Amino acid sequence: MKPFTYVTARSPASALELVREQGRFLAGGIDLLGEMKESIATPARLVNIKALPDTMAVTNANGRWRIGTNVTLATLAAHAGMKPALTGLVEAAADVGSPQIRHVATIGGNLAQHSRCWYYRHRDVNCRKKGGRLCYAREGESKFHSLFTGCTCLSPLGSNIAIALAALDARVFVQRGRKVESMTMAELYATAWRTPTAHHSLRDDDLILRIEVPAAPQGRSAYLQVAERSDFDWALVSCAASARVVDGKLQNARIVLGAVAPIPWQADAANAALEGKPVTTATAEQAADLLLQEARPFGDNAYKIPIARALVRRTLMKLVA
Amino acid sequence: MPWPQTTKYFGRSSPRLEGPAKAAGRARYTADVELPGMLYGAIIRSTWPAAHIRAVRLDQVRAAPGIRAAITAQDGAFDVHFYGAELAAVAGISRQAVLDALTLVEIDAEPRPFLVDELEALRAEAPRVVPARANLTDGKAQATADVDAAFAASAAVVEGTFETQVELHHPLEPHGHAASWEGDELTTWSSTQAVFGCRSAFAQALQVPQNKVRVICEHMGGGFGAKFNPGVEGILCARLARVAGAPVKLILTRFEQALAVGNRPSSHQQIKLGADATGRLTAFQLESFGTSGYDVGANTGGGSGSARFPAPYIYKVPATRVKQGTVAINAGLSCAMRAPGHPVASFGMEAILDDLAVKLGRDPLELRLLNDPSEIRQREYRLGAEKFGWKQKYRKPGSSAGPIKSGIGCAGAAWMSGGRGTQAELEINPDGTVAVRVGTQDLGTGSRTVIQVVAAEMLGLDLAAVAVGVGDTRFPPSGASGGSATTASVAPAIYDACEKALAELAKSSAIADPRGAHWLKACKTLGSAPLRVRGVWREGLSTGGAGGVQFAEVEVDTETGFVTIRKILVVQDCGAVVNRLTCESQINGGVIMGIGYALYEERVMDRATGVVLNPNLETYKLPGAADIPEIDIVLLDMPERGVIGVGEPCTIPTASAIANAVANALGVRVPRLPITPDRVLAALGRVPPPSRQARARAALKSAFARIAQMPEPIGPEESPA
Repeated sequence: MKPFTYVTARSPASALELVREQGRFLAGGIDLLGEMKESIATPARLVNIKALPDTMAVTNANGRWRIGTNVTLATLAAHAGMKPALTGLVEAAADVGSPQIRHVATIGGNLAQHSRCWYYRHRDVNCRKKGGRLCYAREGESKFHSLFTGCTCLSPLGSNIAIALAALDARVFVQRGRKVESMTMAELYATAWRTPTAHHSLRDDDLILRIEVPAAPQGRSAYLQVAERSDFDWALVSCAASARVVDGKLQNARIVLGAVAPIPWQADAANAALEGKPVTTATAEQAADLLLQEARPFGDNAYKIPIARALVRRTLMKLVA
Repeated sequence: MPWPQTTKYFGRSSPRLEGPAKAAGRARYTADVELPGMLYGAIIRSTWPAAHIRAVRLDQVRAAPGIRAAITAQDGAFDVHFYGAELAAVAGISRQAVLDALTLVEIDAEPRPFLVDELEALRAEAPRVVPARANLTDGKAQATADVDAAFAASAAVVEGTFETQVELHHPLEPHGHAASWEGDELTTWSSTQAVFGCRSAFAQALQVPQNKVRVICEHMGGGFGAKFNPGVEGILCARLARVAGAPVKLILTRFEQALAVGNRPSSHQQIKLGADATGRLTAFQLESFGTSGYDVGANTGGGSGSARFPAPYIYKVPATRVKQGTVAINAGLSCAMRAPGHPVASFGMEAILDDLAVKLGRDPLELRLLNDPSEIRQREYRLGAEKFGWKQKYRKPGSSAGPIKSGIGCAGAAWMSGGRGTQAELEINPDGTVAVRVGTQDLGTGSRTVIQVVAAEMLGLDLAAVAVGVGDTRFPPSGASGGSATTASVAPAIYDACEKALAELAKSSAIADPRGAHWLKACKTLGSAPLRVRGVWREGLSTGGAGGVQFAEVEVDTETGFVTIRKILVVQDCGAVVNRLTCESQINGGVIMGIGYALYEERVMDRATGVVLNPNLETYKLPGAADIPEIDIVLLDMPERGVIGVGEPCTIPTASAIANAVANALGVRVPRLPITPDRVLAALGRVPPPSRQARARAALKSAFARIAQMPEPIGPEESPA
């Protein structure tokens, strides 16, 4: 690991100032320290953001949930007040890593995490995401990789919190220079769709401050994932859904797939197809068709398509159960 | 066998002697050893999968801050054959100083073509992994006469292709040593399965007399066949300490564990099995190959890392033809790994046997009872079937309703498990306490506790009165802890020592039976000098040949491919049970390792770069607590057979039983381990096979054709274990 200095920021403005000289923001460090140990990231300075004011709390006011960037995943997973309203988010948080990781990892860090692609994470492989020439997964071992991408890199988004938040129409509030800008989850990852070296749309000195989730009256949400192991494993495919359920019919429905693209995978047509419909095998299959119609499997990842189909149906069933 | 019939400890459950020390963090493992002035050591490894190394220059490394020693792994120019091969080693005052200095090495290397794909390496035009040898090494073929005639006369013939992965050695405690020189005398703290084996290897490699080398292994976090000798890392550690003139500790990282400490070879097995109308096996034919890395596998003293395996496994088949090859790729060498060859052999054989049962419309358990020559396994199958509810649970393959299907399967195992050769020192003190010292080692298996149990039982003492020392070459010699030999090798020596000690004490104290009420009085007569006797392993207290069977119950989600194991039942013979608790703990561990082999573990290498893509426990997946089902263990306690080891047989049939349960649930076979969701969905035909897989199948077929062309063997078949 390259030597680095360590400073604690007391305000967003100073955090941005401090990070500009080859710095990286440090919250839980679960993602960043792994990259540093593998020499994938070599920051000269770590800017501790855990002391920033108003970043540790979950509040609910004016019809919105506000989740500070430093709220840990363990807090989210155990949040009794949030569970009935934002079930999908709570369930997604509970499925991240292990108890030890969830007690340290923050929601901001989870959203800003870098690719888990095994080529990207290998210390001696200079893949396309690291600025090299090739995406080795294309001709190589692509079992965990994307079914959809807008660029040469095949690595999917690793954050399943992002999938749950996308289904909830959440917005991320980011300190960008002197302004606080808000982004949808789609916007947060749009750059990774088209730029192979990008993990998200954040610049190096963009700082996630909080996440806001509309607290829709009678809104329901659900999350499911399939991994190779029962626990402490990355999703092969994840799925999140939300809707208001009125007389058994969906209103304002959202269905999102994870681990299949560098962005939360959504299709307006799939959401529209569910609007005003009850959840049946037929409506779920139709939504899955619309989500997956442009899927382009590579060597080893075609199996993700049947899993995604099953998850779309099961997540929608869970939503109305 | 003269083991006691009525017992206080023997055959019962005593807690692990060192348990409190481990739970409290007091137990000292190699990584915990701290000596004054101790340096950190690390290894510089090849980042080329194949290269000719002309020179390794360490001048800049040596000049770096905090560096006290830097040495090359080999003198002069040499070839490396895998990513991760050792080039040089560095010792310095801190881990950071060493890691910083590693980047300063200058290597003059000529990269060479490489291959990490077994099927590519088998192509006729493939470059050679080691220039002097063809990539395909023919193993010794075996056959009996009339194989073709036997197939022709069979009422049913099934054929199948089965594949197993390369499994990595990932004990919780990685490989490592601490080495300290006092003048020309070397002491090492080594994570090893053989302190005496390590002593010989250190002495030979470092040109030091054996009486000037001491190897200590107080506690160990597991050894499964890769820790029989110091390894390249141990020798480098001791050399660094000698050059630096200071103690050096060198512990491998998880990353390095994935590259260079050995592994279980892969296998590709094409099997043909015939039976008569009653279900009796008539003919067996196998073509197989697997990779042991760049060579035919390391012989680490506890069994080799050969890609060959016993065939046909455990069943009696009158006509057999077996052709086995090894294919070299640019990867680290295989070595012994918990029951070398057997889980590999078991997977193919038990699978084809179940496929035969399906073809014959028979219950697969019946077919085993008909064809398994072992009386012990016959008994175990009957006992297990009753307890498991086999008859009630067994359904036709794929016949359970709904998308989540349940299934059951079973499989058997054989292991030689013999052990001999241990000596033990028993010391009886005038205050009635006892110390036993044996130069064996406790891998975490409970060897210490076994020694305590035997001594306490034989001397009629409480466990607390018996102190046990193991893991030191200053103690009387014992063999390697491998081959499931330890308990059978150690327990008789303790028995012998106790018997001798009691005789001597009876003589010196003039108390005919000094045990029990007379113990303290008898011991007091010793005066100030303790009584010391040496026990030696002797015949008649232990034996070999352990059999075991396992039953598995699974649920398979046919929409996602996810496998959930509901239950594993183990019926295991290990002769006389010495300590039930640690014996069952061994079996739990064996089953869990088998679950990893069945569902999760697989080394993945990249064809383009030659690296191991999953050199960590994130993507090299070991089973976690949530993946472990109910494990029910029935021990056939047979004191009349004497002591038999259990560490290996208990891991052999787990994956086979699970794979058969999955096949029973689905109605189709998942022919390759590990059984991951993608493979389940592919077997169900839910995934369009990519063109690459079709190419791989064609390459596999031509590989088997090459193996089949191996010269027709002559002479009688070797009898497998």
